[in-house]
Amino acid sequence: MNLIDKYVAEVGKHLPRKQRADIEKEIRSTLEDMLEERNQASLKDEAAVVALLKEYGEPRRVAESYIGPRYLIGPRIFPTFELIVKIVMAALLGAGLLGYGVSASITGSFAGPDFLSFLTEFWTGLLGGMFSAFGTIVIVFAILERVLPASEFEKEEEKWDPADLAKEPDPDEVKISDAIATILFTVIGLVIFNLYPNVIGLFFGADGEWTFIPILSDAFFTYLPWINLLGVLQIAFNLYQLRERVWTTFTRLCNIVLEVSSIALVIIMLKGPSLIDLGAGKLAGTPLADVSDVLTKVMGFVPGLVLAIVLIVSGVEVAQMVYRLFNIRYETK
Amino acid sequence: MENEELVQNMLLELRRGILSLAVLSQLSREEYGYSLLKALSDQGMEIDQSTLYPLLRRLESQGLLQSDWRIVDEARPRRYYVISTQGKAVLAKLKMEWSAMTETINKMLS
Repeated sequence: MNLIDKYVAEVGKHLPRKQRADIEKEIRSTLEDMLEERNQASLKDEAAVVALLKEYGEPRRVAESYIGPRYLIGPRIFPTFELIVKIVMAALLGAGLLGYGVSASITGSFAGPDFLSFLTEFWTGLLGGMFSAFGTIVIVFAILERVLPASEFEKEEEKWDPADLAKEPDPDEVKISDAIATILFTVIGLVIFNLYPNVIGLFFGADGEWTFIPILSDAFFTYLPWINLLGVLQIAFNLYQLRERVWTTFTRLCNIVLEVSSIALVIIMLKGPSLIDLGAGKLAGTPLADVSDVLTKVMGFVPGLVLAIVLIVSGVEVAQMVYRLFNIRYETK
Repeated sequence: MENEELVQNMLLELRRGILSLAVLSQLSREEYGYSLLKALSDQGMEIDQSTLYPLLRRLESQGLLQSDWRIVDEARPRRYYVISTQGKAVLAKLKMEWSAMTETINKMLS
């Protein structure tokens, strides 16, 4: 392997696989042309080759000139990324503060010897949660950066017209931020339910010991395969929407099917056994054992409330979809 | 020294804008990269290889150039570039814009 081969291979290392062979061939051809031109030097004339390569430039820089800047999360989706990070971080911080307040008041750790260790432990946990949430968001956006077709965004910029500001939004246009937010929250939900279901629970400390009690019952986990199936379908559907960018009768019907399935699952979950388990057995040996009944009752409302919100949101969405479907039929008649 | 640097940066920006025009204008007949580089340089337009080759690829991906690998006169295989029909139309329009632009600027500078 001569010096030019080595140089070309080094440039190739920094090039995308698809264009690598072609660009390598072109650089080699140019280098040999240049070498030939210079005093009829040959490949064996090492000093001339070294001078030539030096002039041609550092391999990485040469490769960069072909591919342009590369992003983990590029400028086109960065504003949405920033928005989602802000929302998620604010929500986590809010939930953290609330949880801290509740835990501290139950255990009386606002003052006294427990105060400092409780404070440190709690915030370390919250910080860890925030870091992993941030990591998940970055991964989702990095994937989106690579799967979203670039041309769609460029077209949108070209089409922009100040008159649009005064117009009603096009009901057939897919909102990118909505689709991305749905994907993101579905991913976060799936990760939590499947990998870290224990983080949904009560965290408290007393007598210098820290206890964490998961509150989800076994009954909840029997529904997990269905939640996963709907979650994955939801993500796939939104990725498809991001590619298509326009609502069609087909995607509206798909969405109705998805939402109705979610509603059906929610109803089944509400009718089944309790999704929260804070029975005396679980709380035994903790300061909360005495209040097990009350706690179970209070926490028992939470899943009902969450699922009721899901029901309302899904219901409204289905109603909108059905309305749009019939409206389209009417308009096209 | 500071002024010199500013001038160099501005010149670089100016040149970047007109390089596409220069390259399109020289490709009415087939050239391979290095011969084009020399043709441009002979006419006083010095251009770096690391600028020219990516530019050629970009113009080709925009449909303004065509290229193919060929062996001519028993030399090594070289990629030959030539302006496409679309490129010719774009070049004609650019030429007009360029004349109007230089006229305006000349008027401003005189």
